[in-house]
Amino acid sequence: GGVSLRRCSTREGLQGVNRPVVERIIRVDHAGEYGANRIYAGQMAVLGRSSVGPVIQQMWNQEKDHLKKFNELMVAYRVRPTVLLPFWNVAGFVLGAGSALLGKKGAMACTVAVEESISDHYNSQIRTLMEEDPEKYKELLQVIKQFRDDEREHHDIGLEHDAEAAPAYSVLKTAIQLGCKAAIFLSERI
Amino acid sequence: RCQLSPPHRALQASAVLRRVSDEQKETLASSSQQQFDSHPTDHQPEQELQGPRPSYTGQGGQESEDYESEEQLQHRILTAALEFVPEHGWTAEAIAEGAKTLGLSAAAAGMFHNDGSELILHFVSQCNTKLSELLEQEQKLVQLGEAEKKPTDQFLRDAVQARLRMLIPYIEKWPQALSILLLPHNIPSSLNLLTSMIDDIWHYAGDQSTDFNWYTRRAVLTGIYNTTELVMMQDSSPDFEDTWRFLENRVADAMNMGNTANQVQSTGEAVVQGLMGAAVTVSN
Repeated sequence: GGVSLRRCSTREGLQGVNRPVVERIIRVDHAGEYGANRIYAGQMAVLGRSSVGPVIQQMWNQEKDHLKKFNELMVAYRVRPTVLLPFWNVAGFVLGAGSALLGKKGAMACTVAVEESISDHYNSQIRTLMEEDPEKYKELLQVIKQFRDDEREHHDIGLEHDAEAAPAYSVLKTAIQLGCKAAIFLSERI
Repeated sequence: RCQLSPPHRALQASAVLRRVSDEQKETLASSSQQQFDSHPTDHQPEQELQGPRPSYTGQGGQESEDYESEEQLQHRILTAALEFVPEHGWTAEAIAEGAKTLGLSAAAAGMFHNDGSELILHFVSQCNTKLSELLEQEQKLVQLGEAEKKPTDQFLRDAVQARLRMLIPYIEKWPQALSILLLPHNIPSSLNLLTSMIDDIWHYAGDQSTDFNWYTRRAVLTGIYNTTELVMMQDSSPDFEDTWRFLENRVADAMNMGNTANQVQSTGEAVVQGLMGAAVTVSN
């Protein structure tokens, strides 16, 4: 999205913003996009040359753009990244590759589960910011809304590609979403 | 100095406080400082005043603007007390002396802990603020094109040196301060002040890392700062030149560490590629 960023280089320039809330949001979203990147990388490593390769590649490219945007926001708002990044690096890749080893439908099921978690999560962030002050957080809200729409699109693409026909779909989906909830909880705090 | 009986002292203290708030009202109304010269007595508090002050936490509380909050008063007392630290150390005596120069009773020192913790934390916070302002000004000069952008190692060296030089007037008593800052009940605050200072230095040095480097860089700089501070305590060379040389060497080591890490990574990647190639060859 073409959202311009005000450069807030000093701590003083960031006053008026609810620092704890904004820091959490940016930290966890950055971690989420980073993890999503690694998941798609894992899926591509296994299914890159299959028929769903191009679809996964396209979704991966969008996640790369998302990550780039959050890198910028992180620097602009002077937020520290989660200390668990190296862990999400490995865990994301393993999840992506592992689900892809279950087949194309398995990979799609993983995508559906993760994207649903992420869009629910973005929705609750949008609610929080709207409750705080929609005017003050206009830029951030715009970014999160845009990304939420992108993730929903990924979710729908996953469904279109027979995610629900994957082996043990409901078990897989529940397990992955539980993992996502834990990851979100931890990344907000550490 | 005449000895006032306790009730007179309290009256004097509250009178000063009231005068302080009146003066602030006048400042807000006329936005000039000419008023101060007309007040006949107690020049010390007038010189200290320069309009509404930002309070420690940034949230002034629910008081109206022309009333000095307790936090602001505490700030003024602690700032005044710093003058007496070289003589009395970081103690309640220094705070009492500071309070007296503001025309307040020495009993005002009772507002603070006995061990001088708040005085030291106030001093550290003040130094950090001064450092931030210095770095902000330097950044403005670079942006306006009036100064050259420094290479990272020089920037870090200069920033750490500037910050450590602020200790020089109090260097005799600084070891005492360091040990007080390490007391368990002070560690959260002192750690907080340390980490935000280090973060500020890296920010102005242009650090834009959003991965684990964020942590390694800050950890390394914290190590450099702390060890250099300790060396400074023991240094008796003219103008602490040994300390600055130590600092230069540590910063150079840190830069090398970064390069070495990159080299290790490249070597690792090359090795992995070599192994993959060998595996492909063998399987064919």
